[in-house]
Amino acid sequence: MSENLLEIKNIDVTFKTRHGILKAIDNLSLSVNKGEILGLVGESGAGKSMTGAAILGLIDPPGRLSSGQIWYKGQRIDQAPETIRGHEISMIFQDPLVSLNPLRRIGDQLVETILTHMPITKYEAIERARKGLEEVGIDPERINAYPHTFSGGMRQRVVIALALAPEPALIIADEPTTALDVSVQAQILDLLKRLCRERGTSIILVTHDMGVIAETTDRVGVLYAGRLAEIGDTRDILTNPKHPYTKGLVASTPRIDASSFDKTLYQISGSMPKLDAMPCGCAFHPRCEFVLDKCRSDIPSIIANRAACWLLDKEESLL
Amino acid sequence: MNRFLDSDFFHDFLRAPVALISFCVVLILILSAVFAQFIAPTNPFDPASLELMNGFTPPLEANMFTGEVFLLGTDDQGRDLFSAILYGLRISLFVGLMAVTLAMVLGVMLGLIAGYVGGWLDNLIMRLADIQMTFPSILIAMLIFGVARGLLPPELRYEMAITVLIISIGLSEWVPFARTVRGSTMVEKEKEYIAAARLIGLNRWQIMIRHILPNVLGPVLVIATITFALAIIAEATLSFLGVGAPRTEPSLGTLIRVGQDYLFSGEWWILLFPALTLLALALAVNLLGDWLRDTLNPRLK
Amino acid sequence: MSFVVAKNLTRNYDLSDPLIVRALTMRPKRILTAVDDVNFSIEKGTTYALVGESGSGKSTIAKMAVGLLKPSVGTLIVDGKNLNDPALAREDQLALRRRIQMVFQSPYASLNPRWRVGDIIAEPIKAFCLIDGIKAQSMRVSELLEQVGLAPSDATKYPHEFSGGQRQRISIARALSSQPEVIVCDEPTSALDVSVQAQVLNLLKALQKEYALTYLFITHDLAVVSTMANKIGVLNKGRLVEEQSPAGLFSRPQQDYTKMLLNAAPSINFD
Repeated sequence: MSENLLEIKNIDVTFKTRHGILKAIDNLSLSVNKGEILGLVGESGAGKSMTGAAILGLIDPPGRLSSGQIWYKGQRIDQAPETIRGHEISMIFQDPLVSLNPLRRIGDQLVETILTHMPITKYEAIERARKGLEEVGIDPERINAYPHTFSGGMRQRVVIALALAPEPALIIADEPTTALDVSVQAQILDLLKRLCRERGTSIILVTHDMGVIAETTDRVGVLYAGRLAEIGDTRDILTNPKHPYTKGLVASTPRIDASSFDKTLYQISGSMPKLDAMPCGCAFHPRCEFVLDKCRSDIPSIIANRAACWLLDKEESLL
Repeated sequence: MNRFLDSDFFHDFLRAPVALISFCVVLILILSAVFAQFIAPTNPFDPASLELMNGFTPPLEANMFTGEVFLLGTDDQGRDLFSAILYGLRISLFVGLMAVTLAMVLGVMLGLIAGYVGGWLDNLIMRLADIQMTFPSILIAMLIFGVARGLLPPELRYEMAITVLIISIGLSEWVPFARTVRGSTMVEKEKEYIAAARLIGLNRWQIMIRHILPNVLGPVLVIATITFALAIIAEATLSFLGVGAPRTEPSLGTLIRVGQDYLFSGEWWILLFPALTLLALALAVNLLGDWLRDTLNPRLK
Repeated sequence: MSFVVAKNLTRNYDLSDPLIVRALTMRPKRILTAVDDVNFSIEKGTTYALVGESGSGKSTIAKMAVGLLKPSVGTLIVDGKNLNDPALAREDQLALRRRIQMVFQSPYASLNPRWRVGDIIAEPIKAFCLIDGIKAQSMRVSELLEQVGLAPSDATKYPHEFSGGQRQRISIARALSSQPEVIVCDEPTSALDVSVQAQVLNLLKALQKEYALTYLFITHDLAVVSTMANKIGVLNKGRLVEEQSPAGLFSRPQQDYTKMLLNAAPSINFD
């Protein structure tokens, strides 16, 4: 397990409301290997963004990380996430304007980030900033420009430069391309992929888009109602999903295909349960076609390092 | 009703001591004003019941001529101060409520029109608001009051005093309503449900009244509460300056004005009790308004 | 003649400074052409999809198609009647409007949050005076709710009690309530999760079959289009650059822009 850069062990994120305690993330465990791109996919409210926020200690009250551990490079960080936030692990948000100060030149923001994290002179920092911009495909001469003079895609490039500037070992990218057009999205994803391959940086890519997962990630974790439904090699999961939810998700994704017309899309009936109305047992069982008696009462944990589904348990025992 | 009792709003309210106390104070004051004729020992508006001999009786002391005892003492004309405050409170509250209603109806309508129709009409309304905002609202109220009194025939002046008071305060406080409603209207009118309403051929007025109005009323409630406190103070100020409620039917402001004449001759209670009542009322309404604003506006949270 | 015809559809936006500023700075007028001479036609009962990225003018066309926006040049003709004919009487205009409805992008902003779902769906029925009597109206609302996969008892609830997908169903029920023949769908599923998107797309297809509805489907997502459209028009910067059947477009795209779009679209297929 020396390859593990980040390891999340059985974390719970809970929100205290006056109607009781809601579990936004329930007993989630996963690990990120060095240099890999791990995708987290799920519907809105599944807890995928919350996972990223939990790693960085960015969960706002009344929510809190109520149990479990997060280890980074053999060090427990859930008690003091400030020590690694920004420096060892940086974050890219969906809206570039969250990370960019509209009143300051992009160069100043880059230099400031570099200087906070590295013991180098200001002159060297400016050089690095120029190089960083060049790497993400922005003319270094625009170092003195303000964020609003860039288009959405260009802004996201600046944000990537900013996230890469302290040379982090892990980047958490939360829907980094959702607000962008497809043509720009493809460029940004390629850029992110290339830079991280070159530097050996790991990425946690949070997205709702199965296409983005397929084209970008090495491994993928599928989240449902705050729980991990399935995790594994991306190609494996998308071509041979084990969990009925993953199966449904893959089957209901429309494909660019001349023969799709006249076919009805596969649909999962119903919708994801709300946190205050979670069913007993497996959270997916009310929508599941293959539901067993056991699913209604017992919460499955990840079986065979793959999926949290009692069907797999049955398969295993048959073998 | 059950929905309300279960709402976050009510839940927060029960856990905000300031809001709870303010609400109780306002409620007690309103109830005692409404039921003044049952609570008050005398009718202070009835000149026949006044006994001049009772004048200047200190609180809880027997009058040296008649031996009568009054809870809060009496004023120069022997009027029971406690009764006068209850009846005065009633006038103050009535004027405040009616003035706020007038300001609200006017401001909301003008704000809706300015925000939804836009163009030159928007410019006209909002510039008018700008001009009005450059004067203190009490000055506007005095101006309107003076003009209205001048226009009225002398025999009506006395009867119409309260109405004129309401109109002048109401007209001086519409601007905050209009500005807020205009802002929210401009946000709402870009939303798709308005497009859906336009698609089925509803006209501007139907869209404004049926669709936009219910969605811009939240902040209006907050402003109404705060304006209510302002209106009560404005009424007291006008009456204090002698241009408001007449002496024969005194409001809280009138009582304070009367009391002020005797402050330095030792009859402190004539000023103090009406002033304390006004202070409690205005403060409680204001605190309630502040709490409402904080609770209903998540941006400030 | 086709059921819906867009002829030389053009929409300009005047972005110029006020006249006095222009006079002082000697700058000319600045006109932005959001939609530039777009022509297309839709057969009755089929779906025509307009695909484009942000700024392609697709939403502007959607607004012109339902009459929320007037074209600067050109006309939209539905069933032989010009939508923007100034000579059209108000009743005729209203009658034409009834036949063209819209499903919006945002499941949150498209329903009035202060109205009950039943009132939202009944509003077009009342506005067009389609059914008399409150009882008959509420019967119709129940019927519509069932048609889009909701329960008649949902009529008394408020929009915030529903999920995004359910709200989009309410939006569809409202569009259906005036018994339209054309429905303009402006990115109806782009705010939804995939599993819910499939439900809504399937619902739209089923309704099309049942009522022979004609769809103008606006989207940025080529994959969504492949399941919905009989014909696809690709928009780039306000111009219609290519028009083909899905089979033709996906196998033999003619324009570089179309090829780029097809390449850039993230695909779940491994090959």
